[in-house]
Amino acid sequence: MGDSDYSFSLTTFSPSGKLVQIEYALNAVAAGSTSLGIKATNGVVVATEKKVSSPLVDESMVKKIAEIDNHIGMVYSGMGPDSRVLVAKARKIAQKYMLTYGEPIPTNQLVREIASVMQEFTQSGGVRPFGVSLLIIGSDDKGPMLYQVDPSGSYWPWKACAIGKNMVNAKTFLEKRYNDDIELEDAIHTAILTLKEGFEGQISENNIEIGIVNDQKKFRVLTAAEILDYLGEVE
Amino acid sequence: MSITEYNGGCVIGMAGKNCVAIACDKRYGAQYQTLATDKTKVYKMHDQLFIGLAGLATDQQTFYERLKFRLAMYSLREERLIKPASFGKMVSTLLYEKRFGPYFIEPVIAGLDKENKPYLFSSDFIGAPLLPDMDTNGFVVAGTCTEQLMGMCESMWRKDLEPEELFETVSQCLLAGQDRDCLSGWGAVVHIICPDRVITRTLRGRMD
Amino acid sequence: MALALSNAFTAMSREARRHERRTKNPANPELPAYDEEEMLMKFAMPGPNAPDDFLSGAFAPKNANDSDPALKFLHGTTTLGFVFSQGIIIAVDSRASMGSYIGSQTVKKCIEITPYLLGTMAGGAADCMFWERHLGRLCRLYELRNKERITTAAASKLLHNIMYSYKGYGLSMGTMIAGWDKDIGPNLYYCDSEGTRVKGQKFSVGSGSPYAYGVLDEGYKFDMSIDDACELGRRAIYHATFRDAMSGGRVSVYHVHENGWTKISMDDVQLLHEKYMKEAGRTTPAWNHM
Repeated sequence: MGDSDYSFSLTTFSPSGKLVQIEYALNAVAAGSTSLGIKATNGVVVATEKKVSSPLVDESMVKKIAEIDNHIGMVYSGMGPDSRVLVAKARKIAQKYMLTYGEPIPTNQLVREIASVMQEFTQSGGVRPFGVSLLIIGSDDKGPMLYQVDPSGSYWPWKACAIGKNMVNAKTFLEKRYNDDIELEDAIHTAILTLKEGFEGQISENNIEIGIVNDQKKFRVLTAAEILDYLGEVE
Repeated sequence: MSITEYNGGCVIGMAGKNCVAIACDKRYGAQYQTLATDKTKVYKMHDQLFIGLAGLATDQQTFYERLKFRLAMYSLREERLIKPASFGKMVSTLLYEKRFGPYFIEPVIAGLDKENKPYLFSSDFIGAPLLPDMDTNGFVVAGTCTEQLMGMCESMWRKDLEPEELFETVSQCLLAGQDRDCLSGWGAVVHIICPDRVITRTLRGRMD
Repeated sequence: MALALSNAFTAMSREARRHERRTKNPANPELPAYDEEEMLMKFAMPGPNAPDDFLSGAFAPKNANDSDPALKFLHGTTTLGFVFSQGIIIAVDSRASMGSYIGSQTVKKCIEITPYLLGTMAGGAADCMFWERHLGRLCRLYELRNKERITTAAASKLLHNIMYSYKGYGLSMGTMIAGWDKDIGPNLYYCDSEGTRVKGQKFSVGSGSPYAYGVLDEGYKFDMSIDDACELGRRAIYHATFRDAMSGGRVSVYHVHENGWTKISMDDVQLLHEKYMKEAGRTTPAWNHM
């Protein structure tokens, strides 16, 4: 980063071998609103709570799920501004890959690249780790994929997973509900049910967001009307 | 004399039915002096993907080494073989990176994709891709006798050639083409890429 | 000094009278012995002031950086000739190249001027063909007029005079004139469009000549048999075609002897290559790559 006297790495080992900066970053994630993802046989879904600080905020204009490329989407738990930096970088990575190879970036390559960016921010001078965990969904020749990336730069492929405030409960819930033959429609229902479990207040089409990658390898964010339909189905 | 003609040599790629051919001559010269007659210009990238590099020999070598490097990095990163079309794009971008100090080479790529569909690619030395229409013009050429090779291909090539027919066609086109060029010839090598194997044959050519 | 001058003037006037005799028709002294129109070569000429400039403009390389002075003429050929105990061997290739394009593999580069005179062709094909054919005509006329064959020296001088008179006009020729002269024996001359004319024992002309010289110098002996001499010439041309991209096609070998010239052989270079490789117990280098 910078060349100033202060451009040393802020992430330093504690005597016990921990990187407390990263743990603090994970705390920031754990304080963030819940996001979860489920991989189905014919697609993959992410869902997240949209918690706003005041009833006066226009919820319909808050967007937490971002499209990275036609076939890849991403959601975060933690600090919104940090996530937007990563969204911008991820989009660039995807386009650079397309420019070089003339084919859409495979999900795992995008995840690897973005994870290496996040790792760099744990070791570079003058920067702090990102205060977000990411759920990245996408579909390529190997089928639908769901990945989690942490502030440390670690990443895992999941069948189903949750991050943020309610992650422990949500994961337990998903473990019970998940099966290998689940289809996208069911996965969307399960995602809504899982969010509903730990939801404070009344869930509605305006305070959650859902993104899917369908069997055509197309990523999109569901409209409020679609979410409303799904909410009706899980009642 | 153009620097791309300094060492001489030519490459030809031709599509068949579930197979694709790539072939080159064997001359290595310094202008009109023939220095070696065993300089092949076609390199294997993986079992189903070959690249031929015509043009300045020193740039052929450097570019091939860079391709090997890029491809090794790709395989390690992606844990898979590169698709011919992606490789073509990669070559194209690699060449354009040197837009203002180019490699003096003309690449020809021949490969089979996952559906065993032939892929052919050629470009100029700064990477403008030329992807032939496989239904009407299933061939690409490069090097010091492109006019001759193009003419031969135009008249000899037809759609859906079987491997042995393709071998015969590409061989005759190459030999006839290079026999009308001072700077190419002195033998030839032909590769026929099939789904299950690659047929490689050395051709006897005129040695003048 | 004065004596020398007067001798020279006497010689000149004698020469002039001889010329007069030759050009007058004996039946009617007022008529020339031959039609002067016929002898006069008429060509469209570039502007009178600077033919050189005109030609250098017309034949300039497309690109200013592309000056290729070494290849300006004598390109695309290997020819050789050498004198030995049994006469002269002339050997030539048969490729005609236009830049790097091969225009023909079956060109006759040995021009049969008269039954006793051979000329070789290097450089501009049109120039060589035209002027050596013209030379043939002059030689025949000489023979009719003088009732004896023209000597190689004289014939080559005729050609040389023509080329010299066109010096600077862009002719491109490098030629050997070989012949057997009565009472003298074999004679070999090299003439080119720059104005050179030299008598010699061994010449090779054209882009492949360095390679041919290598073989020729190595294998040459004055007292060789006709067969060995022919084979030496053939081999020298073959090696030149192998190394020189602008030479190739077929090797023609001629023998010039007491009774004129004989065409000995004409072999496809490829067949020679295979024969020589076999004789040497070698195969074309195997492909061992990747």
